[in-house]
Amino acid sequence: MNLDLSVSFAGIKLKNPVLSASGTFGYGYELADLIPLQRLGGIITKTITLEPRAGNPQPRIAEVCGGMLNTIGLQNIGVKTFVEEPLEKLSKIGTPIFVSVAGFCLKDYVETVKILNAQKGIAAIELNLSCPNLKKQIVCADLPLTKAVIKGVKKASKIPIIAKLSPMITDIAELSLIVQNAGADAVTLANTYPAMAIDIKTFKPKLSTVKGGMSGACIKPLTLRCVYDAYKKIRIPILACGGITTGEDAVEFMLAGASAVSVGTASLISPENIIKTIDAIEEILENYKIRKVKDIVGRLCKGKDNDRC
Amino acid sequence: MKKYCDKTYKIISNTEIGQGYFELKIQAGAALLRACKPGQFFMLTIPGVFLRRPLSVHDAKDGEISFLYKVVGKGTKILSRIKTGGLSALGALGNGYPLDTPLLPIIVAGGTGIASVYFLASKLKNKGILYYGARSKKDLLCLDKFKKLGWKIVVSTEDGSKGFKGYITDALEKQLTANKEPSRDAKLKNLLFVCGPNAMMKAVFKIAKEKNIKGFASLEEKMACGIGNCQGCAVKINGQNKMTCKDGPVFKIEDIEF
Repeated sequence: MNLDLSVSFAGIKLKNPVLSASGTFGYGYELADLIPLQRLGGIITKTITLEPRAGNPQPRIAEVCGGMLNTIGLQNIGVKTFVEEPLEKLSKIGTPIFVSVAGFCLKDYVETVKILNAQKGIAAIELNLSCPNLKKQIVCADLPLTKAVIKGVKKASKIPIIAKLSPMITDIAELSLIVQNAGADAVTLANTYPAMAIDIKTFKPKLSTVKGGMSGACIKPLTLRCVYDAYKKIRIPILACGGITTGEDAVEFMLAGASAVSVGTASLISPENIIKTIDAIEEILENYKIRKVKDIVGRLCKGKDNDRC
Repeated sequence: MKKYCDKTYKIISNTEIGQGYFELKIQAGAALLRACKPGQFFMLTIPGVFLRRPLSVHDAKDGEISFLYKVVGKGTKILSRIKTGGLSALGALGNGYPLDTPLLPIIVAGGTGIASVYFLASKLKNKGILYYGARSKKDLLCLDKFKKLGWKIVVSTEDGSKGFKGYITDALEKQLTANKEPSRDAKLKNLLFVCGPNAMMKAVFKIAKEKNIKGFASLEEKMACGIGNCQGCAVKINGQNKMTCKDGPVFKIEDIEF
């Protein structure tokens, strides 16, 4: 069967719906020795901020059952250094590059996005509105700020804007609708879950910041619910992000309404997991005799219990 | 050749060599053996735990790579029970110790820190002195192997069951102060190689600074990926956050800020 894995995401043509998730893939080109990067549907870089950031103190990582906690604190080289070296290497890979951006105020976001807009080779900008590891409240918990950031950034950007939201929101569908109405071209659902762990040998927290973000296989069902709820309410495409480890996981998210998926923590464990995910989607489609992957997007909702279809 | 690879290796053996200490041997091809440097490590998949575990290379020769580890938690406990079959691993990762030194090597090892420095000693041109501290006599490993290499050995145990009673760093300081140069050959300057618990390494760094001895230390931090992507294993080096996995795990002593 002549399979078609391509999807169109916020106007960007992806050869397949599997991307690397931000913060788990370096700046994006470092794994070239290990896996064929050009096979990815797209690469989402680690989050870039206007100024370089040293990140949080040790310990930054803790393992939990079926997943991990992290408190990296957006360590990065800053946008000005990023556009010099990493971006040039990234643009040679031959797959769409999504640059993840975070800021501490509206101005940070807008300025960073302006700098990126002056560059070639960026397919989309993912606004990280939901990093849980900063002292300040996450952006997307502040609705007026969220709207202002998206509107401000949209005005400054000719590149599509994707809003990455936190799952720890009263109503993720409502928030997705708000960012859609503010002008976002797509949403990424979701980020890590605020969580913690304590070392009973020392009676101390396992992370330097006590709390961190939980990711990995254990969060998949939680984020799947977010995607399902949001899909029914919004029209912009959803990029799923949360515990996707296998092709089966990816297909579940697409059935729930995701147009594309990103593999994060699973690729930390083994970068090959991201390639295996693409291969497994192909196998599943073949098994069920579905020619185009885009035909399964939102299939779960294409029934009577749906206010969208 | 690729810098490192992610594949399944055949387990040759996984034997308890001391109470709670195991030596795992996997089968490796000639190219990998050649590429494997002392101080480098592998990320090992252990079924039943979420993250891979970093283990430093204990030896690499005769078609085998071996790892020496202590059972400390769930992951190592499960690993210790795997006796046959395949083991998925990513490696060899990180930058190892520099080997081309004309100086007199002094290795300071604490606990399972002995794992990576044995491989180091076997590759260094000059025979040196091993300062090796452990909790008790039963926790001292590889002594016969260092003897075979022709190294001078100073041991300490916290309970005094063998060697100097107390910390190995006290033994090191005493000897350095008494002899000024603890050298087998007084003309050679010393070069330190350090691997062990953070408290021990801190004490060694202090001594190194006071006595003006240069050296290298292998650090250990919690890590998820082993290749610089998760940024979990950051460590302050010369005022900057560097990654233990990718930029290390071996760093110059004078650059490490604990």
